[in-house]
Amino acid sequence: MVIFAGASPATYNARKDMEEIVSRKIAKTLSILVVLAMLAVSLAACGTAEPEVVVETVVETVIETVEVEKEVEKTVVETVEVEKEVEKVVTATPAPTNKIATFAWTQEPDSMNWVYSNMWFSSILQQIFHCWAWEFDSDNAAFPRLLTEIPSMANGGVSEDGTVVTMNLRDDIVWSDGTPITADDFVFTYEMIMDPNNTVVSQYPYDALSGVEATDERTVVMTFAEPFAAWEAWFWRGVMPKHILEPVYEAEGSIDEAEWNLAPTVGCGPYDFVEWESGSYMRFVKNPNYWLGQPNIDEIYLQFVPDDASQTAALIAGDADLGTFPPISDVPILEAGGVEVMVQSSGYAEGWFFNFRDMASPGAQDVVVRQAIAMALDREAINSDLLLGLTHAPETLWDPLAGGMYVSPDIVPWSYDPEGAKALLEDNGYVDSDNDGIREDKDGNPLTLTHGTTIREIRQDNQAVTQQMLREIGIDMQIQSWDADLFFGSWADGSPAALGDVDIMEWSDSTAFPDPDHYYWLCSELPSDEYPWGANYFGCDEYLDGLFQEQLGMLDPDARTEVIREITKHMHENVYWLGIWDDPDMWIVGPRLTNVSFSGVTPFYTIMEWDIVE
Amino acid sequence: MSRYVIRRLLQAIPLLFIISLVLFVLMRASGDPVATMGGRRVMRPEDRQRLARQLGLDKPIYTQYLYWLIGNDWATIDTDGDGEPDMPGDRRGVLRGELGKSLVSRGKEAWDIIWERLPNTLLLMIPAEIVIILFSLIVGIFSALRQYTLADNVITAISFIGYSMPIFFVALISMYLFSVKFKEWGLPFLPTVGMFDPKLGKTPSQVALHMVLPIFSMASISIAGYSRYVRSQMLETISQDYIRTARAKGLSERAVISGHALKNASLPLVTIIGLDIPLLLGGAIVTETIFAWPGMGRLFVDHVSRGDTPVVMGILMIIALAVVIFQLLTDILYAWLDPRIRYE
Repeated sequence: MVIFAGASPATYNARKDMEEIVSRKIAKTLSILVVLAMLAVSLAACGTAEPEVVVETVVETVIETVEVEKEVEKTVVETVEVEKEVEKVVTATPAPTNKIATFAWTQEPDSMNWVYSNMWFSSILQQIFHCWAWEFDSDNAAFPRLLTEIPSMANGGVSEDGTVVTMNLRDDIVWSDGTPITADDFVFTYEMIMDPNNTVVSQYPYDALSGVEATDERTVVMTFAEPFAAWEAWFWRGVMPKHILEPVYEAEGSIDEAEWNLAPTVGCGPYDFVEWESGSYMRFVKNPNYWLGQPNIDEIYLQFVPDDASQTAALIAGDADLGTFPPISDVPILEAGGVEVMVQSSGYAEGWFFNFRDMASPGAQDVVVRQAIAMALDREAINSDLLLGLTHAPETLWDPLAGGMYVSPDIVPWSYDPEGAKALLEDNGYVDSDNDGIREDKDGNPLTLTHGTTIREIRQDNQAVTQQMLREIGIDMQIQSWDADLFFGSWADGSPAALGDVDIMEWSDSTAFPDPDHYYWLCSELPSDEYPWGANYFGCDEYLDGLFQEQLGMLDPDARTEVIREITKHMHENVYWLGIWDDPDMWIVGPRLTNVSFSGVTPFYTIMEWDIVE
Repeated sequence: MSRYVIRRLLQAIPLLFIISLVLFVLMRASGDPVATMGGRRVMRPEDRQRLARQLGLDKPIYTQYLYWLIGNDWATIDTDGDGEPDMPGDRRGVLRGELGKSLVSRGKEAWDIIWERLPNTLLLMIPAEIVIILFSLIVGIFSALRQYTLADNVITAISFIGYSMPIFFVALISMYLFSVKFKEWGLPFLPTVGMFDPKLGKTPSQVALHMVLPIFSMASISIAGYSRYVRSQMLETISQDYIRTARAKGLSERAVISGHALKNASLPLVTIIGLDIPLLLGGAIVTETIFAWPGMGRLFVDHVSRGDTPVVMGILMIIALAVVIFQLLTDILYAWLDPRIRYE
C-alpha cells in the first residue's frame, strides 16, 4: 500500500477503499480467467470421441401384428407384412476404426529419396513406402523382395570370375500407381546416381560398376571392372520410378529438385506416402497395389519428437507406440510404464580409434602403451554401470557381424588387469620418476594422451570414467569434445580427427554392414594437403592395408572369412581399435503394438505383420 | 517525423549488410555441412570431395558470400571435377529475393522451408505473448495496489520462484504432471507432444489443446519477470503528483488507475514488448523442442547443427530485419503515447 504524503485520513481511507475495490475487481477478473481456462482445458480434454447418438428417419420393412376386419362371420387375428416409415433413435456405429500406429521420430528425415540422405531416420523408412531389391531379416541375412532369388554362383547369378551379377525380377512387382517395376527402372537409378549433375550423398558402391544393363524387361545385369565381394550388402537399397523422374531429369538436367524426393507419392512398399508437414509429422496409408497383400495396420503416423525426455513421456502416456534410442537412464522408467525396450544388432560398436600417425603422441604410437590401456579399462564395469548392462564390450569391430563369424578364434580378450598394465609399462621403461602420479617415458616425457569425441552425453560420461581408470596406471588422459560437424570435418577444415590433434578418438561405427569390408585403415586414405578428404585418421600399417585390399576381391566366402579373421587378430594385437560397448539399435515398443520384430539393416521388413491391439 | 523514418531506414541498410557478413562468416566457420551427411558413418572421402564441389562449398568464403548475396547465375560451375566449368549457376542471391536452396533438404528453397514453419510459430507465440502481457498487467497492478500485503508477498515469492526456473524444467515437469500422471490418475489430461492427435485429426480444438502446455510453460516464466516490472512501474507512477491531482479533482479510482497511472506506467513496457515481438519470429527453441511444436526455433536448431547456411541465414536475416522494423515502430508508438517526445 502506498501512503501519500499530505493526504488527510479521510481521503486516505476513501482511497484505500477504492484501491481495495479495484484490487478485488482485478482479483475477480483473474479468477474468472483462470476458471475459464481450466474449464476450456477440461472440456477439450474430455471431448474424446464417444459413439454419437443421432435421430434419423429410416424406411424399413417390419413384421407387425394387426387386427384386420374382414367380411366374414367372425373377427380373426392375422399376421401380415406391411411397409411403413418409422422414426427411431439409433446409435450410429462409427465406421470401422482405422488402426493408426504413431511412431515417435527423434530426427526429421532430410529427404525421402535414399540417394539424397544417409540419415538413419530417413533410410530405415524405405521398407514402409519403398522397396529394396533384397532386404534383410532379423539375423541380418538377405532375402529377395523384387527378385526371384538372390544371385549367387550356385544359381548362375554371379559369373565365375565374379565380375558379372545377373538379377531376375519378379513378374508381379508394380509401383503404387500400378505401373510395372522393370529392369529399366534399375538402369535409370544407376544413371541418376552416377550423373555429375545430381548431388547424391554417396555413389558407393555404384562407382565400382562399369555398367548396368537391362537385357530384357525382367533381367538386370551388373558388370564390375574387378570382383567386388561386398556387392550384396549395399546395392539397390531402393529403385527410382523412371516414369516419374525421367521427365524431371529431361526438363531440368538434374533430379535434385524433383518433387518426388520430398513427396514420394509413387512408391513400392506396403504403404503409400501421403503427406509430410515440416517439423510436425509424416503420414502413410495402405498401398492398395502392393503385390504381397495388405498390412494389418491402416495408417502409420510419424510424429517428430526431437527431445528424448518428451519421447519417453509420450510413450508412457500412450501418445506414441514406437520410439528409438531411449536415453539409457530412461530404460527402467519405460519398462515400469509397461513399455518394452527391444535391442537389435545393427553392426555398430562404440570404440576407441587410436592415432598412430607421426603427429600423434609418442605414447599413442607405442603398441605397449596401447596394450596397457586395453588392460587398464574395466570395460564390463562401464557397460554395467553407464549402460545398465544392456550392452557388452566387443573385442573387435567385427563382433556384431554374423554372430562373430569374422572374429579370429585366436583372439584372447583384453581383460581388466590394472596390475598387469602397470607391469607392462614398467618393463618397457615407463616409470613415474618424479612421483607426480604420471609415468614418464625413457626420455623423461610424461605419458600424456589426448582423447577426443563428439558431445554425446554418454561419451562424455565415458571420458570422465576412463580418465580415472588410466590415471590409476599412471597415464594422464586429456579429454575434449566437439560438435559432430567439427569433429568429423576434413583435413582442409582443420578437423581435430583429420589433423591428428587427438591420440584417441571415440565414436560408434560399423563395417560396410552386413558386409565385413572396411576402408578406414587403407594407407591410400591418409589425409594430407594433397588429399584433404582422406578418412584414415589412424595410420598406415602396410600388412593390414594388404589384407583389406585382398579380401575385397575374393570370391570364395570361406577364404575371405579367413582373411577378415587375420585382420581382426592383427588389429586386436596392435590395439588399433578398442571396443567399449556394442551399439545395437534400441527400439521402444508401446503396449498397443504387437507382433513386432526388427532387422539391423531393414528394421521394418515385417511391418506387414505388425498389429495394433487396444 | 517522415524524415526521421527515412533516415532510420537508410541507416538500416549498412547495418543489415554488416550483420549478414558477420553471421555468414560465423556460420561457415562453425562446421562442415558435408561432414554430417554420412549419417551414422563417417562420410566417404570421394563423396565428400564431390559434394563440396557440387554444392560450391570448396570455394573461398568470400566467393560463397558473394554467391549468397548476388547469386551465381553469371558464373559457370565445374560439377564433374575435371577442372572445366560445365554448368551455369542457377542462384539469384538474397538481393534478388532468393535465400538459396537448403543443403539439408536438397533442392528445396530456404524461403519455402522457413515459410512452412512461420505460421506454426506465430500460432504459438502470439497467444503466448498475449497471455504473458495480460497476466503480467493483472498480476503486476494487483500486486502494486496491495504493496506489502500478504497477497503481494505471496505473488512476489511465486514470481521469484518462477523467474528462477529454467524453462525446460517447467516444461518437462508440467508434461509429466498434466499428461502422464493425470492420465495415470484418471483425471482429464493434456497431450504430451505435437500439434494434434493423429487419431482425432488436426482440428482447431486439438491444436488448441496441444497449445496449452507450451503456452503455460512459456507464460509461467515470462509472467514472473514481466509482472515484477509492471509492479515497480505502477508503484513509481501512482506516487507521482499528477496521480494525486487526478484524485484530488474527483476522478474515480478506476479512471485514475486505468486512464492515468496505467498509461504512463506502460510506456517502458512498450519498449520491451517492441523488442520482444520480432524475436517471436525466432520461436522458442526449448519449448518447441520439448513439446515437438513444429516452429522456427526447432527449424533453426535442426539446420544450424547441420551447417545449412541458406536456411539459417534466412532465419537470422528475417529476425534482424524484423528487429530493425519493430524498433522503428516502437519509437513511433512511443512518440504517440508520450506527446513530450519529438523526433527531429
